[in-house]
Amino acid sequence: MSFLKSLIPSTNSETSLCEKQGCTESASTVRPRYELDETPEAWALTVFLPGVDKAGLEMTIDDGQLRIVGRRAWKNPGSWTALYRETSDAAFELAIDHDKAVDAEKVHAELADGVLRASLPKVAAIQPRKIAVN
Amino acid sequence: MRIVQYSYPTTRSLSPLFNLASRSPWTGLEDEMNRLFLSALSNTAPSATGSGSFAVDLYDDKDNTYVRAELPGVKKEDIGVELVDGFLTLQATRKQKTGEREESFSYSRSIMISEEVKADQVSASYENGILTVKLPKQEESKPKKVSVSVN
Repeated sequence: MSFLKSLIPSTNSETSLCEKQGCTESASTVRPRYELDETPEAWALTVFLPGVDKAGLEMTIDDGQLRIVGRRAWKNPGSWTALYRETSDAAFELAIDHDKAVDAEKVHAELADGVLRASLPKVAAIQPRKIAVN
Repeated sequence: MRIVQYSYPTTRSLSPLFNLASRSPWTGLEDEMNRLFLSALSNTAPSATGSGSFAVDLYDDKDNTYVRAELPGVKKEDIGVELVDGFLTLQATRKQKTGEREESFSYSRSIMISEEVKADQVSASYENGILTVKLPKQEESKPKKVSVSVN
């Protein structure tokens, strides 16, 4: 069974994450809108996280998965009554399986105006290599 | 009204042999359901890059009405707030640069404000991708407390 799991990383990533994190978050989170662009060297990830500040953002990368959790910075001060709502107070959560294709050491991310932009460089093994022909 | 995508008939579905042998009354139902779900979902979830509308919340307290709009990635100077005849119009342009390619997305939305508002005291702030517009209520539209003595 472990051999099978090592072959198909996506089958075990979900359970292992739940064991580690206790799966408290996933009960009440929403999936943010995101874009993923690819260049030969890296992926560029743009995640829309309106209302999330730096303190509420958590980005973790482990063997096969990139996980982003964003908690909204704003809380209703109490005296405000909601007349009409389209958004939710739930935290954002996005998990992307990358099957160890991302070089975790070189990941670079910045958050500005509720948009997280991350560059996920590919590991050297899958980057295109020019082969010199003699 | 919804425009349903026309699915091109395949040789499989048109072949009389196939019809005789294994066509159950449920053939195609699954496709139909999938299409229904897709079209229903696409109505509520706008595409990640698409121009158009954005989510808005309306709040109210004793003195003010508040409008909170989700506008991630928009620069402060690209936001326009206007109040005309009881309609609050929010306009925003998001400029996005990916490599050499630069894209621009426009969003606009009008919200009817039913309360009487002190138009000259409307203020707005933008933080973490959320625009908050504060609309102070006119004195007469605040709830008045009237005590009635019962004899």
